[in-house]
Amino acid sequence: MNEWTPVIAAFLCNWCSYAGADLAGTGRQQYPPYMRIIRVPCSGRVNPIFIIKALIDGADGVMVSGCHPGDCHYLAGNMYARRRFAVLKKLLSSAGIDPDRVHFTWVSASEGARFAEVARGVANAVKALGPNRIAGGDSQ
Amino acid sequence: MSFESQEKSLRELCESLLRDGKVKSVAGFGPQSPDTGLSPPLIAKTAGNAKRLSWNSRCVPSIARYLIGRDGPAAIAAKPCDARAVASLVTERQLERKDVFIIGMECAGMTDGSGAPLRACAECGTRRAPVCDAEITGAPETARGTRDAAEDFSPERFRREMDKCILCFSCRQACYGCYCETCFMDRGVPSWQSARPDVGAKMTYHLGRAMHLAGRCVECGACENVCASGVDARYLIRAATVFVEEEYGFRAGMDAQTPSALLTFKSDDPETGFWKDGKHD
Repeated sequence: MNEWTPVIAAFLCNWCSYAGADLAGTGRQQYPPYMRIIRVPCSGRVNPIFIIKALIDGADGVMVSGCHPGDCHYLAGNMYARRRFAVLKKLLSSAGIDPDRVHFTWVSASEGARFAEVARGVANAVKALGPNRIAGGDSQ
Repeated sequence: MSFESQEKSLRELCESLLRDGKVKSVAGFGPQSPDTGLSPPLIAKTAGNAKRLSWNSRCVPSIARYLIGRDGPAAIAAKPCDARAVASLVTERQLERKDVFIIGMECAGMTDGSGAPLRACAECGTRRAPVCDAEITGAPETARGTRDAAEDFSPERFRREMDKCILCFSCRQACYGCYCETCFMDRGVPSWQSARPDVGAKMTYHLGRAMHLAGRCVECGACENVCASGVDARYLIRAATVFVEEEYGFRAGMDAQTPSALLTFKSDDPETGFWKDGKHD
């Protein structure tokens, strides 16, 4: 049997974190291959329902990363996202979804090493929780 | 009885508003149904019809949503929660403040069929509308309630509530804030809900709705009052409301100017639960 690896959906903003992930790649920084990166225009584009749906349809973890506050390409998209994510995280824990399955962070385009480090940290946190059985574990 | 004196003043005011052409319609409550005792929503468009407006302890429904899309200025016989809902709809540009004449009815809380206060009303400490153009006072004295500070927001409780839900979407239909033309749960492409009403579909719906109502819920309790399965449909939304109050100091609908907490931001907002270099904040 191979070792179980989680599926992690990573929503990365096009202008900062996606470029940061790219830099991690070109800089040969190692980060887990089971990070499924989804490019979005802005962290403000991430509808909370994306995250809910990912978790319910069987993703073991979700990571959302955007530009640092103040650096948003669209001026304030990440500021709105910050409030939304704080509320979502609160609701997820009330709904029985372990807070360690969902992670929000800021990674700029120049922080390739930091992206790899955060990705490894998120992967370890999700791995420690085991497979996602939120919706009864019957959906894949 | 003071309900009757309030009802008399309400009818007189609404008749004159309609007769003088100040408003084209009045949203309020009709005569109690002989079957359920509930006062259903009533839209009066003539002074004659305004005589049928009622005010009693069974004016339970949330009526603010009936003002959306109404032609011309309209008045509303508003419980405090209805007035908050109207103010909230104004900040969301669903209504123009000048087109709504809010008649703030002083409210002692509504009751269920047995005369016991409804849950949301028992929790509510607001007797008078925070935003109004005219006020009709004289409601009987009742004990002012507060929210249960030690409420159980545990996953076990969530699971129990979800087991009861049959996904009929009554709570959505009753809510003042659910005015989307197409709800995300009704959308086919992309489809957010799974084909069967399993735990996943219920979680998607209740989490999604709680996110949409976060910072917008006026705690009228319309969702839990209409639920046929006895689900505490406001449970997650209440968790969000408490969080938004504590974190951003915002209560929905307390005035008609301040946008909802999630429609605005501060540059130094707290990052509760965010990833901070290897550990959680």
